[in-house]
Amino acid sequence: MHILYVEDEVKIASFVCAGLKEQGFLVEYCDNGDDGYSRAMDNIYDVVILDIMVPRKDGLAILKGLRRAGRNVPVILLTARNELDDRLEGLNLGADDYLAKPFFVEELIARIHAVVRRVSGERQNILSVGAIKLDRITHKVTCHQQTVELTSREFNLLEYLMRSPGRVFTRTQILEHIWGYDFNPNTNLVDVCIKRIRKKLEAVDGVNCIESVRGVGYRFGNTDSSWKV
Amino acid sequence: MEGLKLRSFRLRIALMSTTLAGVAIAGFSIASWFMLYQAKQKDFDAEINSQLLEQFNKLRPETLAKFNIKSLVPEFQHVSPSDIAVLVVDGNRDPIYQSDNWSGELNGEILWKKSDPQKNPDPVDFTLGNLPPDRPPIGPPPKVELDQITTKHTNTGDWRLGVGSAPMMGIAIAINLRAINPEMNKISSVFLFSVPGAMILVAIGAWVVSASALSPIEHLTTTIRRVTAQELDQRISVNNLDIEFQEMIQVFNQMMERLERSFKQASRFSADAAHELKTPLAILQGELERSLNQAPLGSELQQNLSNLLDEVRRLSVIVRKLLLLSLADAGKMRIHQAKVNLSEILIDSVEDIGILAPELHLEVNVAPNLCCAADSDLLLQVLRNLIDNAIKYNLPQGWIKIHAWLKKNAVAISISNSSQDIPPEHRKQIFNRFHRGDSARTRKIEGVGIGLSLSKEIARAHGGDLILDNTPSGYTSFTLTLPVGAQGLAPLQN
Repeated sequence: MHILYVEDEVKIASFVCAGLKEQGFLVEYCDNGDDGYSRAMDNIYDVVILDIMVPRKDGLAILKGLRRAGRNVPVILLTARNELDDRLEGLNLGADDYLAKPFFVEELIARIHAVVRRVSGERQNILSVGAIKLDRITHKVTCHQQTVELTSREFNLLEYLMRSPGRVFTRTQILEHIWGYDFNPNTNLVDVCIKRIRKKLEAVDGVNCIESVRGVGYRFGNTDSSWKV
Repeated sequence: MEGLKLRSFRLRIALMSTTLAGVAIAGFSIASWFMLYQAKQKDFDAEINSQLLEQFNKLRPETLAKFNIKSLVPEFQHVSPSDIAVLVVDGNRDPIYQSDNWSGELNGEILWKKSDPQKNPDPVDFTLGNLPPDRPPIGPPPKVELDQITTKHTNTGDWRLGVGSAPMMGIAIAINLRAINPEMNKISSVFLFSVPGAMILVAIGAWVVSASALSPIEHLTTTIRRVTAQELDQRISVNNLDIEFQEMIQVFNQMMERLERSFKQASRFSADAAHELKTPLAILQGELERSLNQAPLGSELQQNLSNLLDEVRRLSVIVRKLLLLSLADAGKMRIHQAKVNLSEILIDSVEDIGILAPELHLEVNVAPNLCCAADSDLLLQVLRNLIDNAIKYNLPQGWIKIHAWLKKNAVAISISNSSQDIPPEHRKQIFNRFHRGDSARTRKIEGVGIGLSLSKEIARAHGGDLILDNTPSGYTSFTLTLPVGAQGLAPLQN
């Protein structure tokens, strides 16, 4: 996947780029609005990620220019500024999603997937890791061709973990992605939900596919390479 | 009365004007009464003098004995015979005739002039032409001296006494002043009716006038009321105002300007601070997230990084809330409205409560498909906050009740829970920023105390409200109301 990332804060850019590259994305990075705009106009990207506060041409102006030129490339806005106003304006200008700083790179990746999926239609509906298959459209999960009934929260959690097998997610990260940012990080929501998913999957597979990482959180699968996609 | 007087400026103005007008009218009435009394007295005096002269004209020393008061009475109109007293004396100043009502006390007051034609400074000249035709004088007309008419006090009342002296005779006519009374009484009664009448008119007038005088103040009040925190830029126009109010408004406007400036500075400070905090937080969070995944699985380093990440996250949430609050303060909390199905959100939340606090008894009564136009992210935050509190401040083995219903054009959601009673002094401050209940201050319960304040601001930004219900002891209840189609915002889509 080819991504354009416009961001002036070098330190943020470095870990975001690294995170995206780890996902196998091809990232093009530039640190000012003019560059970003001309690149977005000249090349074809799968997703454009715009920081709103970039020098010369700000993110909203780039978005406006793109949409006026008839470019429908999916755009995700990032901002540290007045969140609500930016979000409102960004969505009005035709942004596909919006992420407030500070954010988790994993969350950005999840949003990128969601946006691309929305645009490209059904191509990437099926996520399959090992014996588990997950259909994002029908919200159906199968394990060894047997259907596993999950609630919407359980489904979202499993999907989030499955997208990056082997990657460790902290409870806070999971909580924020599934329940939103406003929950008390000390709640046991995540643990209870994981326990339920495990129970349902184990009933079919007999294998615990979600590994606890002590004192940190959870990750999908284990170090066994057979779990990799 | 005193309190009432002090409270209503209008009433005070009306009372003061009425009192002033009353004093003025009363003073005027008394003065005019006295002037009328004096005028009446002068009328009598003139009458007495002319009668004295006429009697001297008619009478001659020889006919003195024939004098009868009856010839005199008809000359005084409006005076009853009993109020007229006459004394006639001869040349030796011995009484010849004395009317029945003549008071002896009056005698002592009379100083008859000695007859001395040469010394008479102003003898009245009786020419033939002046004589009444019916009774021609018998002798030559006498030289008459008239005394100044004076008031004499006797035990039969006050008398107006006129004395005329001639060489061979003297006549004194006295009129009792009570003769004026009937007429003066008439005048008094006119005053007695007209003065209160006038006072009532003045009072009504003053009440009406004070209302119109106070109408600019009412106008000011409505204008000033509009000037809320959201509209600190409001100024009152001085153009259409009376000069008296212009200065006050100018001062008010200047005050508003100072207030707006400091308010803007304060809210810009918190917005700037929040923004400035976000970039380093983003870097911290991103680097921690990355390091966490690079650390050896399950290592102590990874656990430490995880803890750090949680703290950074907590910091971010606080910064985000502060920014939202400063936006709300500046009236800039704009909301992205879409149709939100509150019933679904609540049912989801109920599922969460079941996980978060399985020991609590849960009672849910949510009408199906309650929808409103709202910003779902913000609304979710409000509901989270309320549910979170309901769990945090609950009693062991307690309960939570969630009710949602449609009332008029609003959706009402009440979330109540068994709890210790909130002390009255905390009830008042519960929506204040950084206020936390005593039990929460011990840090056993998470939070910084801006949740409820922010929730209320969010509810208000939607045109609704969040209130702490008055409940009997043993439980706490918050009710959130949201207009179905929030006012002043884009109409419901979808």
